[in-house]
Amino acid sequence: MLKIGKILLYAAAVVLALLPVVPVALLFLLAFSEHPVFIEGFTLKNFEFLKTGVLFPEHPVYSKLYPNVYTVMVNTFLLALGNMLLVVLVASMAAYVISRYSFKGRSALLGAFLVIHGVPASVLLIALYYMLRAMGLLNTLAGVILVKMSVDLPLGVWVLKGFYDGIPWDTEIAALVDGTSRFGAFFRVMLPLVSPGLFAVGLFSFLSGWGEYVFVYTFIQSSTNWTFSLLIQSLFGEMGGINLALVAALSIVYLIPVLVIFLVGEKYLVRVTIGGVKG
Amino acid sequence: MGLSREASKKILMLAMLLPAVAVIILFLAVPAALTLLISLTELDYRFQWIWCGLENYARLFSSPVLQLIVKATAIYVAGTLAFNTLMGLAIALISTHVHDALGTFVRAVWLLPRVLPSVIWALLMMWIFSPLEHGFLNSLIVRAGGSPVPWTFLYYWPFLFIVNGFIGSSLSGIIFSSAIKSIPQDYIIAAKLDGASGFTIVRRIILPMIKWHIAFFVAYNTLSLLASFEYIMLTLNGGPGFYSTEVMILHAYHLAFGQYMVAMDFGYAATIVTILLVVGLALSVIYWRVFRLRRLMIEPKLE
Repeated sequence: MLKIGKILLYAAAVVLALLPVVPVALLFLLAFSEHPVFIEGFTLKNFEFLKTGVLFPEHPVYSKLYPNVYTVMVNTFLLALGNMLLVVLVASMAAYVISRYSFKGRSALLGAFLVIHGVPASVLLIALYYMLRAMGLLNTLAGVILVKMSVDLPLGVWVLKGFYDGIPWDTEIAALVDGTSRFGAFFRVMLPLVSPGLFAVGLFSFLSGWGEYVFVYTFIQSSTNWTFSLLIQSLFGEMGGINLALVAALSIVYLIPVLVIFLVGEKYLVRVTIGGVKG
Repeated sequence: MGLSREASKKILMLAMLLPAVAVIILFLAVPAALTLLISLTELDYRFQWIWCGLENYARLFSSPVLQLIVKATAIYVAGTLAFNTLMGLAIALISTHVHDALGTFVRAVWLLPRVLPSVIWALLMMWIFSPLEHGFLNSLIVRAGGSPVPWTFLYYWPFLFIVNGFIGSSLSGIIFSSAIKSIPQDYIIAAKLDGASGFTIVRRIILPMIKWHIAFFVAYNTLSLLASFEYIMLTLNGGPGFYSTEVMILHAYHLAFGQYMVAMDFGYAATIVTILLVVGLALSVIYWRVFRLRRLMIEPKLE
């Protein structure tokens, strides 16, 4: 009796573990498939675009509709990197002050960060569109990066505050007694100690910028500023029924950094996930 | 020398806090206020501020589609929430009762849909459940001799619950798992000694002990689901047919940015958004009080 229960439990766990993995595995099979819409055989021909970045070399007119894959790759990377650097920089400073000093409005500020994080930024799209337009940042990657980092910032502050809270005061006081300034203590003692936190928030913001769709779709018009998400969505919309394997191959290229970060930093991402609460 | 200690401390604090506060005000607080103002205007593609008072609100409340979008929002939020919570419970209960390595692995793979770019997840789901013959499920059915099922036409709500639910369940799974792990083992051992079955232990001990975590997740998830539309937009985009899955925030998006930027009815769209913002803020304040969130938000340091 007990044995059967145990076997059923393990079977359920295995099924549960397979559920999210199967779709991704299917994507890989499709990307290497000889048939354009069904999974059949194995070939590398779907990845031909990697040579020149041109998606449809045999159809020059059609190709012109889409930006070069490498341009898109650079744009996506800039967005992810810009988001990561800004979030880590700004959040690491703010979280330090919030964790270490008591000042008027401290809990109000923390509360505001939490509330802001709870309400998705999608509700602000109209106003943000208006503002970016007024600032001349519409249709630029810089505009998207600014919006994106402001959305990811509250989570970064919350998570990093947790990491700073976990470091005993003694460490900092020791540094101060040894004669360094408060800023020196922050920069040379505290930052290295919270580096797992910086790493976690950095990975998370990089992924968040890398995968961003709505802001790019809404704020960017010209295809030279496209990111992977726009290119894939556009191709899937127009070619979904014709050459799905090509779209899948492009998706695999798009996925490589995500999978690497997932494998390397899964336990860091978990900490960000619990720190910031969003479904 | 020069500055006193107190003054230099103030300057340091200010300098380190200022960027974050400036960003929050400029890109989150100002837009929130701006949304409210825009909802009182006829702002459109000309970007002129023509004040019209509450006219947009009157228009919305007499709109024939209001009922449709409110109903769609209710179904979407309730269904996804149910999926997220139940799947999270399943992940948490199963992964804490098997060998630790397998349990950690289960929780880890459920993070995968969450870290995948939204476009890829949407594309995968659209392909697997495609109503056409080349959809993955249908290609299996056809090969087995059956006739293709129009999944997304017939079962559009379950489809959306699955698409969105796979994203949200990792969070509930992780929250519930850490709650279950913090239950003292004595309780469970004592219950086992008394002859309680596994099912009874779950129902009588585990579930009551994590009920606050469940309530917290439900509350918080409701808030984020109310205003999320990315995966609906990427998959069914309000369809199939007339507004069957057009939730409020997606409707606002369509009114403002439409398809290929033809709509640009910003003033009217901002009305719906303002209502969602007010509901969202009200809910946040209630949750803040009920769950004493500050305490709960510090807790996740465990691990």
